[in-house]
Amino acid sequence: MADTDQVMEPSIDNPFISSPALHPRPTLQNVVSTVNFGCTLDLKAIVRHARNTEYNPKRFAAAMMRIREPKTTALIFSSGKIVCTGAKTEKQSLTAARKYARIIQKLGFDITFNDFKIQNIVASCDVGCPLSLVRMSTFHGEFLVYEPELFPGLIYRMKKPKVAILVFPSGKIVIAGAQKTDEIFEAFKNIYPVLMSFRKTK
Amino acid sequence: MADLFCPECKKFTEVVFDHSAGDTICSECGLVLEAHSVDETSEWRTFSNESADNDPVRVGGPYNPLLSSGGLSTVISKPNGGSSEFLSSSLGKWQGRGSNPDRNLIQAFKAIATMSERLGLVTTIKDRANEIYKKIEDQKLLRGRNQDAIMAACLYIACRQENKPRTVKEICSIVHGTSKREIGRAKEFIVKHLELEMGQSMEIGTIHAGDYMRRFCSNLGMANQEVKAAQEAVQKSEELDIRRSPISIAAAIIYIISQLSDDKKPLKDISVVTRVAEGTIKNSFKDLSPHLSGLIPAWYATEEDIKNLQP
Repeated sequence: MADTDQVMEPSIDNPFISSPALHPRPTLQNVVSTVNFGCTLDLKAIVRHARNTEYNPKRFAAAMMRIREPKTTALIFSSGKIVCTGAKTEKQSLTAARKYARIIQKLGFDITFNDFKIQNIVASCDVGCPLSLVRMSTFHGEFLVYEPELFPGLIYRMKKPKVAILVFPSGKIVIAGAQKTDEIFEAFKNIYPVLMSFRKTK
Repeated sequence: MADLFCPECKKFTEVVFDHSAGDTICSECGLVLEAHSVDETSEWRTFSNESADNDPVRVGGPYNPLLSSGGLSTVISKPNGGSSEFLSSSLGKWQGRGSNPDRNLIQAFKAIATMSERLGLVTTIKDRANEIYKKIEDQKLLRGRNQDAIMAACLYIACRQENKPRTVKEICSIVHGTSKREIGRAKEFIVKHLELEMGQSMEIGTIHAGDYMRRFCSNLGMANQEVKAAQEAVQKSEELDIRRSPISIAAAIIYIISQLSDDKKPLKDISVVTRVAEGTIKNSFKDLSPHLSGLIPAWYATEEDIKNLQP
């Protein structure tokens, strides 16, 4: 009726491209954050008293602690700085960092929770169809690096938001280097039409 | 077409150049128009099998704009016949000790020249590689890196820029100090710094399987028919959804074409020439099998190709 008459024809033959609601959605895989506990830590003491901690000073200068919920790993340095990896969302990363702080606090150190910062968010997605990376690389850019001899994926460095997108010929992509979850989705929104225009039509 | 004006004939006439006397002679009246012409070609010819001891050449190499002062510096050589007088032999030693700002460059250029010799590359590519090396040498960032890798990467980029790409593995086999990974990283490093410096004039296209076809086929000694068929097959394979390195695809197509011909090249030979592992060629062959009929041109082979499905 009148409503259907007003529906816009999708400009490209694939309706998925013009209606963002039908796009595939990137899933977050890893969130890396850092936090400063504000006091020097005795790694030997930590590893002695805490469970799930390993410390091998000859190999690496930090102690590695793992907790089950959220499933994360923390690198604990003697300066008091922590790197927390393995969380699936920003919120989980914050919770995990707080839990690590709690553990260290219980061991008797005077902790302050300073400068919590998300350093890196990694997400992956599948656009659903194989892509022609060769054609994409000729369209170019100073943004693209495609060296099939060295790495099977094409590396697209987007300027805004500043993320790196790895595009593979199977159609799966990895978005990394974002500092906020919104940047991931924005990057995907920008790259999706470009990728779809380089589909491999067999 | 008339060359010079002869005053006796009062017109432009053809002239003959007499090399033995160095005279320019009018062909109609025999008047010598110009005499004592100076021969500017090289004085001596030196062959590689002759001893380097009594090389009578009095000139050095050509002007090299990449080196400071064109590389035209003069050196004091050691006197012949062992006159071990204090002054002449010491002078030679003192000359050698002086700081030559180009020493690293000259050494690197020599190494790049050896490498390009081994690969049989044209002088254009070698010169380009030298230019690239000089550009990065100016920035002192490559001190800590493997020098062999940097030079190999310069050569790799030069080949790509001249549209005559060599696979990283080929270059790897020539240079003994590096691995594929190191050359790859050096290459990225160089490209990034050159782009920073020059501002996006790096035009290195992506590699295609077709670029290597001609060379691999010729190294294997394939017949013209086969080479043509292989090139056509490679063109068609670009459209297909095959997720393999272009070199592996090229090797697999060569394997297929060669198996279909009368002169079947063994897998081992193809593997050696293309430097692709035998297992990879077999797997690429499996990936290509469903599309064989579309790939192979009809004038080359017909239904035999379907029968030819070997693992």
